[in-house]
Amino acid sequence: MPEIISVVNTLDERQPYIALKQAKRNDTALACDSTSLAGAMSQRACVYSGARVALNPVTDAVHLVHGPIGCASYTWDIRGSLSSAKETFRTSFSSNMKELDVVFGGEKKLSKCIEELVGLYDPPVVFVYSTCIVGIIGDDLQAVCKEASRIHNIPVIAVHSEGFKGTKSDGYKAACNALMQLIGTREPEITSPYTMNILGDYNVAGDVWLVKPLFEKMGIQVITSMTGDATCETISQAHRARLNLVQCSGSMTYLAKWMHQEYGIPFRKVSYFGIEDIAIALRTAADFFGSQEMKQIAEEIIESETRRIMPEIQSIRNRLQGKTAAIYMGGAAKALTLIKGFRELGMEVVIIGTQTGKKDDYEQISYQVKDGTVIVDDANPLELADLLRRQKADLMVAGVKERFLAYKLGVAFCDFNHDRVIEFEGYDGFLNFARELDASMNSPVWKAYGSRLQPAVGSANSTENFSRRANQRAEHEEAVKERENMQDHNTTTLQESVA
Amino acid sequence: MTDRSYATVNPCIMCQPIGSVMAFKGIENSMVLLHGSQGCSTYMRLHLAHHFREPVDIGSSSLSEKGAVYGGSENLKKGLKNLILRYDPKVIGISTTCLAETIGDDIGRIIAEFKEEEEEIASERIIIPVSTPSYEDSHNSGYIKAVEAIVKEFTATDESGSDIFNNKLNVVLSENVSPEDTRELRRILSDIIGTNSFILLPDISETFDAPITGELQKIFPGGTSHSDISDMKNSAAMIGLGITNVNRAVSYLEQTFDIPSQNLPLPIGLEYTDRLVAALSMIAGTDILEAYQKERGRLIDAMVDAHKYIYGTKVAIYGDPDNVLGILSLALENGMHPILVVASSKSPGFAEYAMERVGQVKPDCNVTILEDVDFDAFNDAVKKAKPEMLIGNSNGKYIAKEMGIPLVRVGFPIHDRVGAQRILSLGYLGAMNMLDRVTNTILEAQEEKLVAKWSEPDRYAPLDREFHITEA
Repeated sequence: MPEIISVVNTLDERQPYIALKQAKRNDTALACDSTSLAGAMSQRACVYSGARVALNPVTDAVHLVHGPIGCASYTWDIRGSLSSAKETFRTSFSSNMKELDVVFGGEKKLSKCIEELVGLYDPPVVFVYSTCIVGIIGDDLQAVCKEASRIHNIPVIAVHSEGFKGTKSDGYKAACNALMQLIGTREPEITSPYTMNILGDYNVAGDVWLVKPLFEKMGIQVITSMTGDATCETISQAHRARLNLVQCSGSMTYLAKWMHQEYGIPFRKVSYFGIEDIAIALRTAADFFGSQEMKQIAEEIIESETRRIMPEIQSIRNRLQGKTAAIYMGGAAKALTLIKGFRELGMEVVIIGTQTGKKDDYEQISYQVKDGTVIVDDANPLELADLLRRQKADLMVAGVKERFLAYKLGVAFCDFNHDRVIEFEGYDGFLNFARELDASMNSPVWKAYGSRLQPAVGSANSTENFSRRANQRAEHEEAVKERENMQDHNTTTLQESVA
Repeated sequence: MTDRSYATVNPCIMCQPIGSVMAFKGIENSMVLLHGSQGCSTYMRLHLAHHFREPVDIGSSSLSEKGAVYGGSENLKKGLKNLILRYDPKVIGISTTCLAETIGDDIGRIIAEFKEEEEEIASERIIIPVSTPSYEDSHNSGYIKAVEAIVKEFTATDESGSDIFNNKLNVVLSENVSPEDTRELRRILSDIIGTNSFILLPDISETFDAPITGELQKIFPGGTSHSDISDMKNSAAMIGLGITNVNRAVSYLEQTFDIPSQNLPLPIGLEYTDRLVAALSMIAGTDILEAYQKERGRLIDAMVDAHKYIYGTKVAIYGDPDNVLGILSLALENGMHPILVVASSKSPGFAEYAMERVGQVKPDCNVTILEDVDFDAFNDAVKKAKPEMLIGNSNGKYIAKEMGIPLVRVGFPIHDRVGAQRILSLGYLGAMNMLDRVTNTILEAQEEKLVAKWSEPDRYAPLDREFHITEA
């Protein structure tokens, strides 16, 4: 494990959360998995946000936020998840609680909202998210949802995501708990002896669509992808899969474990990012099902796809070789797979951090990175800024809040969060990723970074001429000033004119 | 999607705290701390960073379950302390969220205790609480409340300033405008009133649009200076910019310090800019500056150049009330047909002023005015009114796409295009900029229509094919 030393100047209470990986040092565990320190400017959001990002990509659901308007405003279509069918999830629904609702309770209004929205949108499922205030005034969300389910004859599911009741990870759990209520309620049509679910992929910019066809080529029926491009129907059939492949482990391991317990479906943790990890994912599935034919198809895919993208990857790699990267991600799974991805492009990671990593995650991260890498949990902007300088990172990969911080520091940037508009998974996705790094690091704009314009230096002759004129000008200004001083100040006052 | 009386679908407003943040960011050396759970600050940072494309740091007291049950005093104090240790701001705005308001924390008392307990680091700070529960009003009222709280704090506990008459003009905004607009306001005020003869509050021209300097400042320089805000009570006159809502800071200063004031609309378009320039010239006791006559003449020249392309174009305008009122005025005076005019939040003056302006320019114009609606209701209205273009923030993109009509982006938020911080709509230059953008958008749409029309197979066929062949 990494050694905790004072890597950067920060609050004393934050020091245990930042460590430097060094060989031959005593073990010290990185502090993590606790609530954020007040005033420390955490980059994390709240329980609600965790629930919202994990659940929101369910495309045909009405996602109703029970609370004041802000929580719905700030989360309206912020995740770049795409849908192959309905777009209901891109609409922002709120009960818009007002002062009177806070005083007298919001249950009645909530029931009316559900009734209205069910009537207008005819959704197969309604998710009702609770926000801070609901937890304080004690609206009985469960009871309202149960009653609404009965009346409208569709699942109306309470998502217990009061903002203050924990961290973003607790929000993921709340989302998983909501999904559990759907799973197993419908039977799928089975078309292949090999069935699986994709868990922890949110179809950002169409990621799932670059991955799912690979499995289908191998003869696997993908019952659902959670929650990217998932529908109420496919989620409710998920229990018939023989295997769960979990990518975003931070958000979906909890659900995978539950499905294992409840339905005996084993799960494997995989990643679809980077040449090596995609290959591992495909082989994992083929090995699990044990079909020789499938194994062969997997190898063929890996072979031909790698060969297809390699020339361009190679040429980009030549330009990126030896550059350094900083990773600050929401979850540890993405951070881990990124380390490999960067290596495949000839880059080395010098800073790595997450918002919601757990002890095991950081142990794995520490194992993966080289000595001298800084590992940080729940970092804040000032720490990140110091680290980017100290570690001399050429590029940062993170989300919107960090983007402009990096830019101001002259560090190239790659958006690997949920609001990116370009897909990074699968073979073409990795190519996109490489192109994006290339574009940001090799752009000529950085040549101007931090520069200041200097006066022009001309030939000796012209410089002399300019300075002669300058002397004359100075003399002239002196004379004007003297003349002005002799006069009385008789400017019109504001007071006079107003009066 | 038809009538609803309970649920809100695609909100037009944000909550009060984000408005207060925009106001506090317009003050020199200041930070904001939101008293509530961690998510509020993060969401607002995201929302603002997306729009302004700048790092935006907003503190949080990171209230947890314990804080919510036993009171947030401990977290708030810790938050204040850490914020001071890390950012060393002179001014800290504390905005409450729905959580803090509902658990009933007494912010004033907590601040007093904090100042006592942490005297060493707290004594020199100015801590300004503002009550901005998210279940009341909107981001617009949050802005107004924060500006009022700032002015009250600085003019009441004045240690540095004096009571000496300063002969300056206070200019106080009651609605957020872009950094570029703020710079333009500063230029106009400097030219007409004099560089050091006005106090503009808030001023986000530098703080939300900071140049790259080669280093990262913890708090971006710029914003209205503290001495200036303290000095506002000694000013000779005052202009409130924005008329749809009560400018509470202006009312307070007028009542408390007897400073004569007038409220003017945001100077968008010819008429409203005329009103500001005339008022400023009157206050300065000067004739209209020749440079501004020329600028104005160029605007009118631009209006003449554009008039035939733009005349009668049906437009829907939406956004924050004073911005919408200004764009409405600009649209009307250029001969457009504002068929639908929508303000994000309810305000006492919006509908009346909007109708007044319609009455002045085009009394027979059929206009639908809506306030305090969500985008779903707006979309329905758009479908009914069938405008040919939209002017407003980026949240209108969905309906623009659905209707196949162009959207000219202005206001807040704009999340899907770069340069939102540099959109200029104020003053004669702003009017020219908006007019050019709108006109060019119309021209582009017309060109496309023309191409589409003549590329239809049956639209035009040579009369006699053989004739052409023999000619050749």
